Amino acid sequence: MPELLGNGPDEMVSGAGRIRGHWRALMGIIGSLGRPALAERGERLSRAMAEDGVASLLPGAAGELWKLDPVPLPIMGEEFEALAAGMAQRARLLDAVLGDLYGPQELMAGGHVPAPLIFGSPSFLRTARRSSGLPRRPMLHLYAADLLRRPDGSWAVLQDRTSLCSGLGQLLENRRLHSSAMAEAFGAAQPRSISPFFELWQEALIRLAPHGRRDPAIALLSPGTRDPHWFEHVVLSRELGCTLVETGDLTMRGGALFLKTLAGLQPLDVVLSRVDAAALDPLDQPEANAAGGVPGLLDAVRHGALCLLNAPGAGLGEAPALAAFLESLCPKVLGETLMLPSLPTHWLMPGAPLPPLPEGYSAWGFRPAGRGAAAEVAARPFDPPPAGLAATALPPLPVAPSLVGSVLTPTPFVLRLFAVSDGTQWHVLPGGIARVAKAGTALTGRLPGGGWCKDVWVPADPSEAIIGPAAQSGPPIAITRTAGAIPSRVADNLFWLGRYVERLDRAARLMRAAVARLRRGAVLPRELAELSTLATCLCEAGLIDEEARPSAGSLTSLANALERTAKPAVQRLQGRIGGLVESVRDRLTADMHATLKQTLRAAEEALEESPDGLPDLARALLPSLRFANAVAGIASENMVRGGARLFLELGRRIERAQAVAAEVAVALDTPPARIEAGLRLVLELCDSVITYRSRYLAILQPAPALDLVLADSSNPRGLAFQLKAIRAALAEVAGFAEEDGPAGRAERLLARAEGVTTALLAAPDQAVEATRLLPSLLREMAAELGELSDSLGRRYFALLPAARAVGVDMGEAAIIEA
Amino acid sequence: MPLGHSRAAAHPALWGDDSPANGRRMGRRMIYSLRHRTAYGYARTVDLASHLLHLKPRILPGQRVLSARLTCLPAPDHHTETHDHFGNAATRLFLVAPHTAFEVTAESLVEVDFPEAPPAARSLPWERIAAAGLGAETADFLLPTLFVPLIPEATAYAAVSFPPGRPVLEGLLDLNRRIRQEFTFQAGVTSITTPIAEVLRMRRGVCQDFSQLMLAGLRGLGLPARYVSGYVRTRPPPGQARRRGADQSHAWVSAWIGDEWVQLDPTNGLVVRDEHVVLAWGRDFSDISPVRGVLLGGGAHRLEVNVDLEPATERVA
Repeated sequence: MPELLGNGPDEMVSGAGRIRGHWRALMGIIGSLGRPALAERGERLSRAMAEDGVASLLPGAAGELWKLDPVPLPIMGEEFEALAAGMAQRARLLDAVLGDLYGPQELMAGGHVPAPLIFGSPSFLRTARRSSGLPRRPMLHLYAADLLRRPDGSWAVLQDRTSLCSGLGQLLENRRLHSSAMAEAFGAAQPRSISPFFELWQEALIRLAPHGRRDPAIALLSPGTRDPHWFEHVVLSRELGCTLVETGDLTMRGGALFLKTLAGLQPLDVVLSRVDAAALDPLDQPEANAAGGVPGLLDAVRHGALCLLNAPGAGLGEAPALAAFLESLCPKVLGETLMLPSLPTHWLMPGAPLPPLPEGYSAWGFRPAGRGAAAEVAARPFDPPPAGLAATALPPLPVAPSLVGSVLTPTPFVLRLFAVSDGTQWHVLPGGIARVAKAGTALTGRLPGGGWCKDVWVPADPSEAIIGPAAQSGPPIAITRTAGAIPSRVADNLFWLGRYVERLDRAARLMRAAVARLRRGAVLPRELAELSTLATCLCEAGLIDEEARPSAGSLTSLANALERTAKPAVQRLQGRIGGLVESVRDRLTADMHATLKQTLRAAEEALEESPDGLPDLARALLPSLRFANAVAGIASENMVRGGARLFLELGRRIERAQAVAAEVAVALDTPPARIEAGLRLVLELCDSVITYRSRYLAILQPAPALDLVLADSSNPRGLAFQLKAIRAALAEVAGFAEEDGPAGRAERLLARAEGVTTALLAAPDQAVEATRLLPSLLREMAAELGELSDSLGRRYFALLPAARAVGVDMGEAAIIEA
Repeated sequence: MPLGHSRAAAHPALWGDDSPANGRRMGRRMIYSLRHRTAYGYARTVDLASHLLHLKPRILPGQRVLSARLTCLPAPDHHTETHDHFGNAATRLFLVAPHTAFEVTAESLVEVDFPEAPPAARSLPWERIAAAGLGAETADFLLPTLFVPLIPEATAYAAVSFPPGRPVLEGLLDLNRRIRQEFTFQAGVTSITTPIAEVLRMRRGVCQDFSQLMLAGLRGLGLPARYVSGYVRTRPPPGQARRRGADQSHAWVSAWIGDEWVQLDPTNGLVVRDEHVVLAWGRDFSDISPVRGVLLGGGAHRLEVNVDLEPATERVA
């Protein structure tokens, strides 16, 4: 980035060195807090962000986290009104220009917009060009702009944003955190509320539904948890009351878009898209990955069956060189003078000379002319792409006070404002985000995954209480929140979250049991048998290598294997769980999510920080067990009965049932005479030692012990309990208990588990019967549980094969001819 | 005909319009009967399929579409008709019933009579065209694309035909003739993904390779040129050699000479007059591939393509 930090106009201090009026109340409050308290507020904000805010993205997500400066940036009401009028005008202008470029292209034919700039822009989506017979629809619904204050005090646009307009979710979070962490300042300055904007936006989405549908289904389309703005998608979908979906959840039928849910296909009318338009539809875009996107989606938009926002191709409005033409386009297209100018911009074709830098600016910044907002500013011209270069004159950045360490320091910033259209009128959000620029920060480009930002406040207008910003004409529309049938993908993720949490629990239990025995030093023959069983269980669970089973007398191989592989194995499980928690985030309340995140983070940290070696492993695994308990608690106490909870429950129960069956089978794979060691271990692993003692005192016999872990459906760690829970959940998911469906299968498994006790009691020798009968029976049952899990996947999660493209190659056709 | 009468009746045509007459009488008029059948067979069931077709001939000065009709088996659940950015007709088909085979047949009656190229010697010097190529009509056909990158080898090859000051059409005709003479037509040695540099090295390929080479060379010199997809007549006019690229989809080039586009077929070294039917044009093959689809399921696939372009009178006789 060009060197231009520092010397721009100061927001707080006037040229005469005095604090400006609209800063005084705010700075009075901040000053009265004192330095240590202010630093503490800064800390609190950072912590809050890391725990349940924007920063708590995926575990281990790379890069700097977002931090919120405790000092907001106030903008005077009058100044904001002027900015808002300018924003609305630019949005109307860009909408009209895009409407022409994707329609008759008269502006290009008339030479008002250069053709090579448009045709050379990778953001010009040819497939979005409107057929002559089809009606013109708005191109923009959402608009954002990055602004700088110039040395003469006026604002100018550095970058228009017409495709993703990221930052609104973060803005919501900033405001929420600020209002609690800086309550005094909030009370004194009384910033205008931003919620009317979101209410209005929600109403606008409803109004935009095709064919004036009264109760439209609205979705926010996200690329998924890997997207750096996933959190924003979660926050926005919640704020706007729409379903959060990914392209894999969608399918076309009869020219309309549908969401795949557990209850079948449900139509969608309005989609707020956060997926790059070039990846939306592999049918229309040969270069798009056939396995991503939804074939036919753009055709539904073209024919008005679906309202996609912003319209596909709208990203062309971000082409940096377009800014060079807006001033002359505005009178031509709108019959108005451009109120909010761009920074001086030139479109440079190869070989064109660079004009002299205008006075008051500190450097030229160069971007690919047609690249869109994703391009970063370079300090020097580079080999131009086909559309040429855009040269933008950059002023020294404006500065505002920010907390650096514990000192308020003037720091440079870029302001981002947002506007939304209800179809007839543009509304500008009274507030925004100020991104604090440091050396090395990209001026433009995608909103990065981290950095410093400030909440932007517009002081409330005293008259607002009477008029209200949301007052608008038109018939009142009832706000509806879509019922939100669970997308199949979400059910799938919940199911696997349940399975992995249980897998983590099992891994921690097995490892703890092994470590406890290995640490005792001299090992009794009985303990050796137990360790051998544990080693087999650990092997079967994929937690240690095959060759680590202890041979007679030597335990070092098991100890070494545990030291080498236990930690990474548990960390892998934790990583998978972290990803799954994130992927179902929109189904959890903020509190639930924060609880899971914090306990999981504690589990991860305990493992990371523990020294290598067995003695510390057992302790380091405790937080993992605690995390599994937290999930169980949330599932039973905090989740609404029904869809979401049922699939989490199914995953946990199936995994646990398989584990119990497999472990008991291994423990009983022993000569009848040595069954006692196996029984002891089984009771320990199933957390049933105390229950057994209270029932049978110290007498250990196969039938009562195995009854407790296999057949007694009141033991929550036993097999029968899991099978009963599976049967109940399946009956609830299907709405009824089908004889030959998965629920029937669970029923039959339960009967087999319950039959174990009778069989053992009837046998002449319980130990002989248990070791002969049970290992194979339990392995069969474990395998059948695996099949049950697969059948659920096929039935509810609709894991279809990936789509692919086919085409006729001319050479290919010729070969067949020959 | 593989598509029997009874099946055609059960699956009525998707298009069956009679297009308005708009041709200007300019020379020898030929009426062709065109039939283009594409059939896929799949190893496993296809659950969902979407196809994008560019199979309906364009209506142009010099090309009248007397009738056009498209049939497909199985019949699509949903289909739409639009015109794309380049003004080509685009048909989209959506099949939701499981199927193991899919075929689409486009049949039309087309009258062609493209005007004779203007006198080559009187066309503008090629540098003048290159200097003025950035207008709204031509700028899209100058830029590099995925299949037609502007590589120096192609520019150098084309530059031989364009010494300084040469009238642009003379240069174009020379380049068109050179590709015909210096390259061997051979199916199966190239595919859609073969780079132009490789075609230049091997000196062999099919119509698509020669057209894309010519496009790369012309665009590299700053001369706007379009990729045209269509057909050349199956049997040659009496007394002439069989045309290369018959019996299948064909491709050629349309080049800008300052006030009009001239169509050149480098595979046959011809100026397009009355032996070709134009389907669509774009920047390269990927803009206008005749049949392209996205499938869910299906496994491996077999493909069969048949094209017949016969003078209508001969066919009736």
